[in-house]
Amino acid sequence: MSELKPTETLDVRGEVCPYPDVMTQKKVKSMKSGEILEVLVDYPLSVERIPESVKKMGHEVLKVEKTGASEWKILIKIK
Amino acid sequence: MIEPTAILSGLIVGILFGFALQRGRFCMNSAFRDILLLKEYTLLKAVIVAIIVSMIGFHLMASFGVIQLNPKPLSWGANIVGGFIFGIGMVLAGGCASGTTYRVGEGMVGSLVALLGYMMSAVITGSGALSGVKSYLETTTKITITNPGPLIAPSSRSPTLANIIGVDPWIIVIVIAIVGIGALAWKRGGREKTEGSLYEKIFKRGWPWWGTGIVIGIIGMIAFPASATAGRNYPLGITGGWSTFLSALIKGDANVLSWETFLVIGVVIGAGISAGIAGEFKLRAPGPGRLIQQFIGGLLLGIGAVIANGCNIGHVLSGIPQLAISSIIAGFSIIIGCWITAYLLLMRR
Repeated sequence: MSELKPTETLDVRGEVCPYPDVMTQKKVKSMKSGEILEVLVDYPLSVERIPESVKKMGHEVLKVEKTGASEWKILIKIK
Repeated sequence: MIEPTAILSGLIVGILFGFALQRGRFCMNSAFRDILLLKEYTLLKAVIVAIIVSMIGFHLMASFGVIQLNPKPLSWGANIVGGFIFGIGMVLAGGCASGTTYRVGEGMVGSLVALLGYMMSAVITGSGALSGVKSYLETTTKITITNPGPLIAPSSRSPTLANIIGVDPWIIVIVIAIVGIGALAWKRGGREKTEGSLYEKIFKRGWPWWGTGIVIGIIGMIAFPASATAGRNYPLGITGGWSTFLSALIKGDANVLSWETFLVIGVVIGAGISAGIAGEFKLRAPGPGRLIQQFIGGLLLGIGAVIANGCNIGHVLSGIPQLAISSIIAGFSIIIGCWITAYLLLMRR
């Protein structure tokens, strides 16, 4: 797992839906193929939504990890 | 003065409702917006299931004489304008009436700020400086019927899908149920393939859409007779709960409190319990810009809901199952307001 070094980090903690999702989509669009985006989220609904929408865009969700009380980290590989 | 039993029943139904909202991530804002934004129908399906369950439940209870249906009065101008404003508000606030309420229980400070705006403007529009707008739209566009038809409270003058064409409500109920279930079955195939991924297995603790829909539909059914016993003949609602809450505080008058007041307090408690158990409770706040946006959204929620005489819960979840024309108009208006705002705010850049 150590080779999963994120290229960029997006912190959307504190944001209510739909913003975590929308901000992730915008960020993903601005990144290059092969790069890895790390998204920090604390909103449960968005933790379920972001992987769904990112997959729909054709990118790969590498990992969804719970990092604390209502805090998650999502790793996305840009295709 | 409200009876202690009514306080208790309001709180209990509210806690159940809040628990189900949090567990099911039941958010009509997302349900409507995702149709446009993500071509994603999961939450919409939960909403449709809840409406069908409540619709059948309400009509069964009315047929057995447990309740008398009480569809909201039709004032098309107020329903359209209010619904539209509400729809704009829910995108800005980051949640509809129920979504904003249950997120307060999850510790979302942004939603708490939105709720403050929502309560304030609900009182201002209901009985304060903006009450003229509401009464003008209501009186100038009011449409009544003379015979409410079977299963409905005899004093009601509210048009429904059944009584405007003079058929038995059960015919409409059965048609809507068949069409709705058919649509769900048809839309079912497309989405299953995203299921079963690693992520889904880990985070399966959110309820599936059909489970959420059924549970919330049943809670709506329980709410109707519980609320009617307390002297408020209507199922679930949110806006009235918060406006009576704030009015009672401002006026120092406990007589303002209703069953609905305790329902909304229960929703916050229930969502808090649910989030706590799932490890999803945390105090968290977005940046100052977003907080102001959510406050303005909250103001629009309150103005819209009071002008339309109901929010997404009072109209969509409680009114449409009673076949109320007012609720159907308000519901569509909410969706249009939501879509236009979501498009301008989120899709264009």
